[in-house]
Amino acid sequence: MMLAAARKCEESAVSIEAATTNRQWQRSVPLFRVPLLTRPFAVLCGLGALACVLALYREAVGLGPASGMNDNYAWGVWKTFNIMVLTGLGSGSFAIGIAVWIFGQRQLHAVMRTAVLSSFLTYASGLALLGVDVGRPWNFYSILMPWRWNAHSPMLEIAFCMPLYTAVPLLIENLPAALEALSKRLPRFAFAFDAIEAVIRRIFPFVLALGFLLPAMHQSSLGALMLLAGPQVHPLWQIPLLPLLYVGAAGFMGFAFVTFILLVAHLVWERPLDREVLRSMCRISTGIVAVWLALRALDLLLRGSLPLAFTATAPALLFWIETTLLIAAAIAAYSAARQSNPRRAFLASMLACVGGMLYRFDPTTLVYQPGLGASYFPSLIEIVITVGFVAAAIAAFCVVVKLTAILPASLETWFEAERAEQHRQLHRQLRLVQSSIEYVAEA
Amino acid sequence: MSLTRRQLLCGAAAGAATTFTPMAARAEQTVAPAGVLGLLYDATVCIGCQACVSACVDANSKPQDMSLAEARSSERGLTIQARSTVKLYIAPDASERSFVKLQCMHCVDPACVASCMFGALHKDPRTGIVRWDASRCVGCRYCEIACAFHVPRFEWQAFNPRIVKCELCGPRLAEGREPACTSVCPTHAVVFGQRESLLTTAHQRIAAHPGQYSEDRVYGEHDAGGTQAIYLAHIAYNRLGLPQLGTESISAKYLKWQKRIYAYLAAPAAAYVLLVGVLGKRLRTHQLHEEEEEATGLKPQL
Repeated sequence: MMLAAARKCEESAVSIEAATTNRQWQRSVPLFRVPLLTRPFAVLCGLGALACVLALYREAVGLGPASGMNDNYAWGVWKTFNIMVLTGLGSGSFAIGIAVWIFGQRQLHAVMRTAVLSSFLTYASGLALLGVDVGRPWNFYSILMPWRWNAHSPMLEIAFCMPLYTAVPLLIENLPAALEALSKRLPRFAFAFDAIEAVIRRIFPFVLALGFLLPAMHQSSLGALMLLAGPQVHPLWQIPLLPLLYVGAAGFMGFAFVTFILLVAHLVWERPLDREVLRSMCRISTGIVAVWLALRALDLLLRGSLPLAFTATAPALLFWIETTLLIAAAIAAYSAARQSNPRRAFLASMLACVGGMLYRFDPTTLVYQPGLGASYFPSLIEIVITVGFVAAAIAAFCVVVKLTAILPASLETWFEAERAEQHRQLHRQLRLVQSSIEYVAEA
Repeated sequence: MSLTRRQLLCGAAAGAATTFTPMAARAEQTVAPAGVLGLLYDATVCIGCQACVSACVDANSKPQDMSLAEARSSERGLTIQARSTVKLYIAPDASERSFVKLQCMHCVDPACVASCMFGALHKDPRTGIVRWDASRCVGCRYCEIACAFHVPRFEWQAFNPRIVKCELCGPRLAEGREPACTSVCPTHAVVFGQRESLLTTAHQRIAAHPGQYSEDRVYGEHDAGGTQAIYLAHIAYNRLGLPQLGTESISAKYLKWQKRIYAYLAAPAAAYVLLVGVLGKRLRTHQLHEEEEEATGLKPQL
């Protein structure tokens, strides 16, 4: 008995040791020795600029000539993709935040900065596009007049919560990284930045609570939007659990998208990987996807809509594509967690992202059937604007990870980055001295 | 700590459990207030002359917006010029045919009004007419998604686009005149009046000619929670573009839980207080770990 306990103790000590020595993600570190301006970055910026020009064109000619939207499909990809789908991917701050701060998964704290930045950028780009999408944005001031609110409208809930979430909790959660970078560049004002951070630390529980409550509300309301479309949405999607499933999808999509970003950062910028953290992210995603699939199947079964999935129709096919993608995602994530295999984690994250994206897109467009003869396909301008706003968000992400400490790395990398920064500054000063000597010599 | 987390989980489980309870068990009936106005359209009397559509275009748009031929087409749906349309339905085997006049149904509990975030679409409390208020509309087009009858139209070409739909000729009513469409109908296929009296008329017609009308019922009496534009026809209503929506209104049927969860914002407020409590404790433990981080000589990262 004692022996077994001792062995157990020993085992856990060994595993703790293994865990600590394997830790690669101890601290967020800026990307260094990477040029700020690269060709892909220029392409992304170009796309963003093109989208802005086309958005001005849309303002000039109206929504009809610029887009493929019509009275049957009144919502195009700007709403159904950039908002419905991409804010699901941008739910990392919500999903991983809950795991870290509510369920005490401390090991995931290392990826929080990546999560909050990706969330902020997806939301900001989506909201900016929403301003292009609505017909009379100048009337939005009504949001400040509570007596005008229709409290039962899911749209009001979204119009209220989404900008508030982006402007308050997401912005404040992103501030510490920015303040850290600022105080490094402007050491003279470091005391002021430190003071701001101290304030943030004091109000952090209130900010975080808002950062979990607001997305839970508006991500569910995105699903509730389609509830009011009633029988126009196919019964395999139109279930009372739709809002809950939208939040659930945001949960696993948030996890999957942050995993995806970190693995891409590993591939593109050769950032080190922390297999332990990846493993626990995969473990949690497996759970969320599995529970989500079970909930959906259970509701369809109880409601008697499940037989519709076994008919030879396009919606049934879509249902099975979604389900297959997500089952595959769960299996891949499970095996990635078991074998701590980053390659499989990459596969799992992509499957979960695509499956979740499809699930959140379908009820708005593909299985939304407003009657015979109705059709919609986005116009070229519409597609370019959609792509351009996404490109702008990616470009912003690429700049911010180079300027501030976002992506996780080890302590050694942190010191290496500091040394690299010192070298760079030394070089700059040397060059300055050199050029002034040359100038004096010439004079 | 563990207690609060358990409470959190129990709360979530209870919420999920309540969502699963069958919804049909408790149908919420909406009742039209007395004196609301409406239309009664009888497809068996309509000769498809399209006079009502021409009158509608005349009353609501500039005449040059739509040619007479276009206005009289029996294939065109609702547009921003023609807020009312008369369509011809012919069965695929040509065994039955009928005209059907389509315009806003002025639902008793409209989905468009439930969807509209700032109440730009609203129901007149006295007449029950669903009207659109230019100063409140943001142009999100949710009403077009929500309306099961596909009625609201958006000015896709306009710089400051409006939502256009039948408002039962509000300005004409204010002058004491009846709506344009009913004023010109030569066969009284469409008549204007108070909803109760129109319903009485419709039931009298059914009683006088049993078996002549589809299912011997008035479409819109209870459909989708009741509509103020009501219909009589000799062929199945859903073939005429009047969908079978059940007797509950769309918003009562589909937004039931949404309305309960957000009632007085009590649940979100309680959740917020709970979250702040849990997070306060969590952050204190986090600070202890940060002290370890500080021991490395670096500033802890939030």
